[in-house]
Amino acid sequence: MDIQSYILSGAIESYVLGLSDAAEIAELDRLRLDYPQIEAAILAFEKSIEKDALISGVKPLPEMKQVLMTRLKLEFADIDPAIALLNPSGPKVQTPVIPINQLQNNNNRFKYLSVAAMIILVASAGLNLYFYQQFQHANNRYSALLIQKNSLEANMNGVQTKMLDLYQSMQMMGDPAMVKVMLPGIKGKEQNMATVYWDSRSKDVYLLPNKLPQIQSNKQYQLWAMVDGKPVDAGMISDCTGLCKLKNIPRAEAFAITLETMGGSPTPNMEQLLVLGKVG
Amino acid sequence: MNLIQTYQEPELVLLLQQRSQSAFGYLYDHYAGALHTVVVSIVGEDELANDVLQEVFVKIWRQIGSYDSTKGRLYTWMLNIARNAAIDMVRSRQFQNGKQNRELNEDVYGAAGSTEKKVEHIGLRKLVQGLKPEWRNLVELSYFEGYTQDEISKMMDIPLGTVKTRIRSGLQALRQLLQYD
Repeated sequence: MDIQSYILSGAIESYVLGLSDAAEIAELDRLRLDYPQIEAAILAFEKSIEKDALISGVKPLPEMKQVLMTRLKLEFADIDPAIALLNPSGPKVQTPVIPINQLQNNNNRFKYLSVAAMIILVASAGLNLYFYQQFQHANNRYSALLIQKNSLEANMNGVQTKMLDLYQSMQMMGDPAMVKVMLPGIKGKEQNMATVYWDSRSKDVYLLPNKLPQIQSNKQYQLWAMVDGKPVDAGMISDCTGLCKLKNIPRAEAFAITLETMGGSPTPNMEQLLVLGKVG
Repeated sequence: MNLIQTYQEPELVLLLQQRSQSAFGYLYDHYAGALHTVVVSIVGEDELANDVLQEVFVKIWRQIGSYDSTKGRLYTWMLNIARNAAIDMVRSRQFQNGKQNRELNEDVYGAAGSTEKKVEHIGLRKLVQGLKPEWRNLVELSYFEGYTQDEISKMMDIPLGTVKTRIRSGLQALRQLLQYD
């Protein structure tokens, strides 16, 4: 088949312009698949009539478009696919035509935005971690300071209490109603010494352990009052600041201290007598 | 900024098939002038041309699903819809005017060419005016007035083969004119 002369025969133009009969159309439908030159010639002619028509076309009255669009209103998709592409779940909006290229640009822009958002998210997560660690560090230091402060406060309270006790002891020692009974160390234990302050009004007994040796934790000093020649328990001496308040002893002729087991004994262990002093 | 120019044909067709109003609006804006000219070159400058153009776009809209891009470009397909619609309109108008009884063997030359408000100064029809008369008349009868080659052969008492050859030669010449237009 002579393709070139077929192309120049006018058959293609006849086919494109719709002037061919069914047999001619069928023939060209087949030939355009077999011969690329024929396909190209068809396309070229189609493009040239289209170009000419677009250039030389005379627009109809402008209001015609509105009439047409109104007439087809119910046949348009509820959600315009050209817009749905951009905004899949968006509202039904009437927007101007957005060309596909622009859609692709927007998609690209969206892609860049997504990447930027990811980067910002990762950076933010990193910062969060950093700030969290800083917070933990600061929080630990704060807790340590809090503990230290509480401990200092407790110490200070202790010191204050001691000071108050010492002050009160001092007041009592200076009180003229207090009967002072010196208890020096007995023979062989002269380095020991204690002082009893006996309130002549209330008959309460207070003790100042001036100098008593350190004792084991299971031992305790016990004060005895000699009443009519017999020892009476006057109280256990515990670790106290200033004067230790002991029992109320209405009358006594002497006081003594022995070392006893923790909690005290009903009768004094005379072998462990440390100090002894008479009243008056 | 003319963003509208950037629609690619396959995407436009796809959007039209998906019933996109904006794509149809674009199609109208882009092609209304070209198709209007096709209609006017056949129907004449007449109010009817507007009606025909409306029908053409309604047909395009409703038949876009049957458009096959392997059989031709979108414009070619729309051009044929427009041409057929315009010729149908002219035919029915002639029928209403009582012209349907016109004898085929009378002076069809004059009769066929006597379309009211004949428009020869736009579109393809303007180019056709540049053809040799023996081609021009046959191209006009077949393309713009919609007579089949068989009808033309009978009307003009010319053998069918000669009608076919002359029309094809005329179209081939038209192609050359298009290239220099």
